[in-house]
Amino acid sequence: MKKQSMWSLRLSTAALVLIPVAVGVNYIGKLLAALLKLPLWLDSIGTVLAAMLGGPIVGALAGAINNIIYGFTDPISFVYAITSVAIGLVVGILFYKGFISSWGKVLVAGLIIGLVATVVSTPINIGFWGGTTGNVWGDALYTFVLAKTDSTWLASLLDEIVVDIPDKIVVVLVSYGIFKGLPQNVVQLYTNNQKIETLD
Amino acid sequence: MKSISLYEEKASFVHDVDPITKLWYIPFAILIPIILPSFTISFLFIGLSLVLLLGAKVIRKTIPVFGFVFLILITVVLIQGMFKPENETVLFQIGPLTMYKEGLLFALTITLRVINIICAFMILVLTTKPSDLVEALVRKGMSPRIGYVIVSVFQIIPEMMATMSTITDAQRARGMETEGKLLVRIKAFIPLLGPVVLGSLINTKERAMALEVRGFNSQAPKTYLYEEKTYQFSKVLQIGMLLLTMAAVSWRIFL
Amino acid sequence: MKKIIVEGLKYKYPLADSLALNDVTFDIKQGEFIGIIGKNLAGKSTLCQALVGLVPHFYKGAYGGKVIVDGLEVKNHSIADLSLKVGMVFQNPFTQVTGSKTTVYEEIAFGLENIGIPRTEIIERIDSVLDLLNIEQVKDHNPFDLSGGQMQRMAIASIIAMKPDILVLDEPTSQLDPAGSEEVFQAIQSLSKQGITVILAEHKMEKIAQYCDRVLLLNNGKVVDFDTPGKIFSREDLEGYGLTAPVYTRVCKALGVKKAGTDEYPVTLEEAERVLRGDGA
Ligand SMILES: Nc1ncnc2c1ncn2[C@@H]1O[C@H](COP(=O)(O)OP(=O)(O)OP(=O)(O)O)[C@@H](O)[C@H]1O
Ligand SMILES: [Mg+2]
Repeated sequence: MKKQSMWSLRLSTAALVLIPVAVGVNYIGKLLAALLKLPLWLDSIGTVLAAMLGGPIVGALAGAINNIIYGFTDPISFVYAITSVAIGLVVGILFYKGFISSWGKVLVAGLIIGLVATVVSTPINIGFWGGTTGNVWGDALYTFVLAKTDSTWLASLLDEIVVDIPDKIVVVLVSYGIFKGLPQNVVQLYTNNQKIETLD
Repeated sequence: MKSISLYEEKASFVHDVDPITKLWYIPFAILIPIILPSFTISFLFIGLSLVLLLGAKVIRKTIPVFGFVFLILITVVLIQGMFKPENETVLFQIGPLTMYKEGLLFALTITLRVINIICAFMILVLTTKPSDLVEALVRKGMSPRIGYVIVSVFQIIPEMMATMSTITDAQRARGMETEGKLLVRIKAFIPLLGPVVLGSLINTKERAMALEVRGFNSQAPKTYLYEEKTYQFSKVLQIGMLLLTMAAVSWRIFL
Repeated sequence: MKKIIVEGLKYKYPLADSLALNDVTFDIKQGEFIGIIGKNLAGKSTLCQALVGLVPHFYKGAYGGKVIVDGLEVKNHSIADLSLKVGMVFQNPFTQVTGSKTTVYEEIAFGLENIGIPRTEIIERIDSVLDLLNIEQVKDHNPFDLSGGQMQRMAIASIIAMKPDILVLDEPTSQLDPAGSEEVFQAIQSLSKQGITVILAEHKMEKIAQYCDRVLLLNNGKVVDFDTPGKIFSREDLEGYGLTAPVYTRVCKALGVKKAGTDEYPVTLEEAERVLRGDGA
């Protein structure tokens, strides 16, 4: 079977229906992390799963719609839609290229995704908040680095990194675990690339 | 069923404004203070938005959102006031902590910008039913498939939350620990999340099939159960905002 | 007039090793009420889905033979096109809720809006199916707040409102109590009497015997027999296919009473009564 391009814009109904579920998974992941008082956000498991199952376009759409809808409960998240889109795109590409196929690789992929999220979020943090993130540990580091180096950019980057990298590593690990638990006929559903074979 | 959106059904002139106009208000309220950066303009816009929120009788619903934002803004004020690299002019001292004028002014800029943006979004979010906004956008030409995706999130999340709370209760009843050491809490995460996620993903297959047989991919021009709502002043308001933006741009360029 | 023609239909799901449908051939006339029976995993749902085009268009997989529905060859037409002629109600009512509507009324409108029915007609049609399935009292409820049985009625109503010529129902009363099932079967029968072709997969043999004109017996993806309920349920090898005949048939069989002048046992209460009273003789 020939592997079709991952950039097909004609989304199957199954892939579209995957998006609201992905947003829901993000939401309950975040809720559960708060409930269990975990020191991470864990609010992008759905976006990552959607990208693994449906490809970068579905991942990016899930990310965008996720933040637009979060915006209806917390307007600030509109601003971070770009980060979510980036996460969806990168996960989709990494998965397609085979970088999310074993626990070891997943660790590296989590690191890459964390870096991408940081690089995209930092300018938003600077433009919006002057560089802080509202996370206690991150902001403490920000203050320390700013006092030492006078560089808002460096301080802000590190502020975001200390939160994003561990978060994204855990998110990708959890998503990969769930992915492996999915029945094959579900996984195969979202990839819109097979042809009907003939038995005539 | 519990709703996740902050929208509240009320009668007010703001509720009666076309969702698309309220959507346009957001870039309008954000852009003008960027085109004409001054505290006066920022205060003007925040004032205008607050008046609209008051008029819509939804101001109380903004409190939790602002409560959360103020917490972050306080750290911004403290950190920038004390540590901004450009800090020079000492304003006052509390014990060992020194606050500088430059940092505080910068923090004020940020605070005004954030409050302005949030106010502008709040007008849309608190006074517009999400499905009305989506329907208005679909009528304007947005893909109904994307419209479906957005609207269905508002239904699917409460469904998933209900499933999760059933699972959480069941797991707790079976003695799962959800409090205590970090490791204990981390261990609880997967068994609580996993089943909901697996179940919801497996359900997508049948939901997609059900949509297909109900003409989801039909090429026929879509019709609507409800008549298109007519709103007064939509054009006037939209053109007004456009003219004001153009005026602001020319002010910036020529004066 | 032949409404549905199935010829040498073969189908294999993606990643499956064996055929889910194997050389299935039969045809159905306009207005017939057809039952599909067979043990679990016999292929009933797969066959139903082959009539609306979900097999093969939704799943892909491997496909052979021909299915012609109201003149359209399924292989060459989209599910959207086919859905104008054939409606399908699925087994699980919960996953059939679109999730994009907040009332039962709007939920039923979903399909009608998609296929572009004018507004006034949408309203007429919804009011009539709400009445037919007796769910008027919940029309303003949230679809997810309904009981399983009410959801199932809503699912059927949503499809009937699209006015398909052919109605395919896959175990449509699994969540309903006996009284509710009976009501729903009556509603389906009234449509059948209006000339709609009905195909229904079902485990409740009494219902199949009572309502169907003909019954298709499936086993391991193959058609074993396609005949009147009397003939099918009088088969001696029924249990070999994992099925039990309706209770009336079993009683009469035990008593050794057949319908007068035939080789068939009674399959419904009325038939059994008549035979046992002796007036059928
Ligand atoms: N999505 C799928 N992927 C692979 N195989 C499938 C899929 N769905 C069904 N099958 C297989 O196809 C065969 C027929 O299944 P089908 O669901 O049509 O049976 P059924 O008669 O409807 O059963 P039931 O009475 O349990 O509803 C079975 O062997 C089943 O395992
Ligand atoms: Mg079945």
